[in-house]
Amino acid sequence: MSGAWRWLRRNALLLYAALAVLYMLAPIIVIGLFSFDQTSTGKLDYRWSGLTLDYWREAFADESVNEAMITSIQLAGLSMLVSTAIGTLMALALVRHEFRGRKASNLLIVLPMATPEIVIGAALLSMFLIYGLELGFQTLFLAHVMFSISFVVVVVRSRLIGFDRSLEEAAADLGARPLTTFRTITLPLLAPGIVAAALLAFALSIDDFVISNFNSGTTETFPLYIFGVSLRGIPVQVNVLATLLFMVTVVAIALVLWQQRRAEKMAASAG
Amino acid sequence: MSNSFENTSAHRRRPALALLLALVAMLALAACGDDDTVGGGGGGGEAEVAKAGPVRGELTISNWPAYMDTGKENTVAEFEDATGVKVDYVEDVNDNAEFFGKLRPQLERGQSGGRSIFVVTDWMAKQMYDLGYLQELDHADLTTVFDNILPSLESPSFDPERKFSVPWQSGMTGIMVNEKLAPDIRSVNDLFDPKYKGKVTMLSEMRDTVPLVMKADGVDPAEADKQDWLDAIDKLREAAESGQIRRFTGNDYNQDMTNENVVAAIGWSGDTSIIENPDVKWRMPAEGCILWSDNMVIPKGAPNTAAALAWMNFVYRPRVQADIAEYVQYVTPVAGVDEVLRQRDPELADNQLIFPDEQFTADCSTQPDPPGSEEDQQEVTEAFQDMITGQG
Amino acid sequence: MTALRRRLVPYGLLGPGAIWLILFFVVPMYFMGEMALRSGSLDTGGFALTWEWANFADALSGSDEQIVRSFVYAGLATVIALAIAYPLAYAIALRAGRWKLLLLFAVVAPFFTTYLIRTIAWKTILADASPAVDVLQLLQLVPQDGRVLATGGAVVAGLTYNFLPFMILPIYASLERMDVRLIEAAKDLYASSAKAFLKVTLPISAPGIVAGILLTFIPAVGDYVNALLLGGTGQSMVGNVIQSLYLQQRDYPEAAALSFVMMLAILAVVVVYLRVAGSGAFIGDEEERA
Repeated sequence: MSGAWRWLRRNALLLYAALAVLYMLAPIIVIGLFSFDQTSTGKLDYRWSGLTLDYWREAFADESVNEAMITSIQLAGLSMLVSTAIGTLMALALVRHEFRGRKASNLLIVLPMATPEIVIGAALLSMFLIYGLELGFQTLFLAHVMFSISFVVVVVRSRLIGFDRSLEEAAADLGARPLTTFRTITLPLLAPGIVAAALLAFALSIDDFVISNFNSGTTETFPLYIFGVSLRGIPVQVNVLATLLFMVTVVAIALVLWQQRRAEKMAASAG
Repeated sequence: MSNSFENTSAHRRRPALALLLALVAMLALAACGDDDTVGGGGGGGEAEVAKAGPVRGELTISNWPAYMDTGKENTVAEFEDATGVKVDYVEDVNDNAEFFGKLRPQLERGQSGGRSIFVVTDWMAKQMYDLGYLQELDHADLTTVFDNILPSLESPSFDPERKFSVPWQSGMTGIMVNEKLAPDIRSVNDLFDPKYKGKVTMLSEMRDTVPLVMKADGVDPAEADKQDWLDAIDKLREAAESGQIRRFTGNDYNQDMTNENVVAAIGWSGDTSIIENPDVKWRMPAEGCILWSDNMVIPKGAPNTAAALAWMNFVYRPRVQADIAEYVQYVTPVAGVDEVLRQRDPELADNQLIFPDEQFTADCSTQPDPPGSEEDQQEVTEAFQDMITGQG
Repeated sequence: MTALRRRLVPYGLLGPGAIWLILFFVVPMYFMGEMALRSGSLDTGGFALTWEWANFADALSGSDEQIVRSFVYAGLATVIALAIAYPLAYAIALRAGRWKLLLLFAVVAPFFTTYLIRTIAWKTILADASPAVDVLQLLQLVPQDGRVLATGGAVVAGLTYNFLPFMILPIYASLERMDVRLIEAAKDLYASSAKAFLKVTLPISAPGIVAGILLTFIPAVGDYVNALLLGGTGQSMVGNVIQSLYLQQRDYPEAAALSFVMMLAILAVVVVYLRVAGSGAFIGDEEERA
C-alpha cells in the first residue's frame, strides 16, 4: 500500500497527462502505422494487409497530394501570420484600452465563432462575387484570416488579462520609448499566448473544409482534396505525408529548443 | 486583477454602435444596389449553343473523384498530347447538391468559375438546364459521341434529344451485401429484417433510396404518385426511428462495409472495385435496380467551348473509353468498348456490372424525379430531408 | 503623447481586424439577414424580399429537438474536454520544464492533419468489432451487444476530440505565466495543496478556462461534421438541419433564419454563462467593473 500508493499519488498528474497525450496522439499513431500498409487501391479503412516501405519510398509520387499539401501549408502559414498579428493588436486594444465601441467590438469578435460554417461560406461567396474578386487562393486567404481572427483574440486576451504591468511601467520610467517597451518587454511576456493563438490559427486554416469549399474556385487545398478522395479510397501517400508533417513539426521545434539551450549554455559560460 | 483604465463613460458606447451600423449599411448599399430578387432566372432565359472552333488553349473540367484513369499517360494527358490543349482537371464534385450549392451564385451571374465542363447526375443536369444555366449542344459538333453512344442512352426522358447532356458514365443502384454475414439478403425489403437491426445503411440520395423502397413494395417508380413517395418515406422514417437503419450515407458507406460495421447497404455498382473486403458484393435486388448516368454539361459562360466539345468526342473513342472503363468500373456509355477490353482482360468484358445485358437490367427503372408540380416535388424533398435529420 | 493621440491608439490597434471582420463577415451576414426575410423558391423566379418573419417560426418548428440536442452534445463535449485539457495543460506548462513548447506542439500537431483523416482513424479504432470496443464492453461502459459508432456517444467523443486544442491552448497560455514558487508559497500558507490550488492556481488560470470553454462550446454547437460522420439516424444537430435546408432543399431563407436563431441562442447561453461565471474575460468586461 504505502510506497506504491505514495508514488502513484505523487505522479498522478503526470500519469493522467501521459494518458491524455496518448489519447491525442492515437489517430496519428494509427495513421503512421498504416502508412506502411500494403494495399492495391486507395485506403478506405485501416485494415492491415501487409508491411511495405513502398509508400515511404514514393512519398512524393502522387502529385495531386503534393500540390494540395503545399497549397494548404502556404495558405495556413500566411493566414496564421496575418490573423495572429491583427488579432493580437485587437486583443491589446480590448484589454488595455477604454474606448467607445468596445462592446460592439466584442460582439464583432464573438459572432463569427457562433455562425455556422456553411452560412459564412455561402455568404462570403456571394460577397466575393459582388466585390468582383476571382475565386482562388486570394479569396481563401481573406476567408481564413477572417474566421481565425476571433480565435486569436480570445486566446491572446486570456493571457493579457491580469498581466503584470510593473515591468512595462519600470521600462517607461527608465525612459524607454513605447515601441521599445513593447518590443523588449510586452511581446516576450505575451509570447506563450501568441504562440498558442498562432498554433490554433494554423490548425483552423489547415483543417477547414466547409468555408473553403465554397470559396476555393478551382484551387485545391488539402482538406478539399482529402474530402474528395476519402469517399473512394485515400492514396496511402496521404498517410505518409500526414505522418511526415507531424514529425517535421515536432523535430523542427526540438531543434529550435536544443539550439536555444546551447546558446544559453554558451552565453552562461562566456559570462 | 485590476485594470488601470477604469470605465468612466459607459454611457458613451451607443453612438459608436450606431456609427458601426451606419458604416455597414453604407457598404451594403454600395455593394448591392439594384435588384430586389435573389436567385432564379439564371444566366438569362435565352438558349445559347456551345460554339465549335479551332481546338487549342486551356480547358478546365470538374469531375467526381476517382472517375478517371490515373498515371502519367492517362486519358487527360493523352488528350493534351493529341490536341495541344492544356487541361486543368479538377475533382471537386463530391455531391450534386453541394456542388450546385457552391456554384449557383456564379451560374446565376452567367459565370462558370472558369470551368468549361462539369459532370453531374441526370436530375441535376435537368435542373441546371431548366434554370437556364447550361448551353445547348449541336450534334453536328459531336459526331464521335453520337456515332458511338449506346442506343439505350440516346434518348433519356430528362433530355430526350440530348440537347444539353452527354453521358460520362452510367451506373446501377442496388444492394451491397457482405455475403458471409448476410447471405440471405436478396431484396431491398430484406434490409428491413429486424435480424439486421443497426447493421444496415441506405443512401442519403433521395432519388436512389426512395424508388428502390417503392419497387420492393411493388410500386413502379415511373408510375408512382406523390402519395407513393410519401408512403415510402414513412416506411423509411419508421425504420430510422427504430434504429433498424444505422445511417444514411453518401459514398462513405464503403468504409462501413469494409470494416464490417454494416452487413448490407443500398449502394452503387462501381463501388465493389474499391471495397477491400472479398466478401462484399454488389447484388441486383430481386425487384430490379435504379439506373442513372452522370453527364458532361457545358455551363453558360464557359470559356473555350471548342476544346470542351473536342474533349467529349475524344472520350467517346472506344479505345480511349476502354482505359476509363477499366479503371472506374461503372457502366460505360460507349459502344464497342467491350471488344477493346476483351483483348486486354476477358473477365472485365464479361462483367455484368460494366457491360450489363438487357436481361440483367430487365427489371430496372431509370432514376425518377418526384412526380407533379414544383410544390409537390418540394414537399417530397422536404419530407425526405426531414426524415434524414429526424425532424418532426 | 497628446491626449488626442492617446485616445486614437485603441482604434489604431483595433482597426485592421475590425475592418477585416466588417468587410468579410458583417457585410456578407447582412445579406444573409436580409435573405432570412425573403420568400419564394429558386424554381419559381427567385426569392423576393417580403419581410417574411414567419421564416423564423418555420425554422424553429420541427427542429427544436435538434437545437436542444446540439446544446446538450456541445455542453457534454466541453465538460469532458475541460477534464482532459486542464491537467494536460497544467503538466505541460508547469512540469515539462524547457521542453514544454515541444510537448505543446506534439499535442497540437495531430490537428494539422485533416479532420477527415483523423476521423477515419477513429472510426477504425472504434469499429464495431475492434478490440477497443471489446474493452469498453468489458468495463461495462458500452452494453454487451452495443456499439460505439453511430451513437450519441460517438458524436460527443468526436466533438470532444476535435475541439480539444481550443481548450488546451488558452489554458496553457494562462497557466504558463504562473511562477512555480508561487504555488510553493501557497502550499506553505494554506497547508493543503488542494486549498492552495483553489486559492492561487485556479484564479490565475480562470481567464484561460473561460476562453477555452467558449472556444470549444460555441463552434461545437454549430458543428455538423461529427454528427454526419460519427452519428447515426437519431443524432442530427442544428448544423445538419441548416446544411440540409441550404443544400438539399435550397430553402435559403429558412436556412438563414435558422442560423440566426441558433446564433442568438448561443449568444444568450454565453451571456448567461459569463454572468454566472462572474468573469468579463470574454465579452463586455465593463459589467464586471460597473
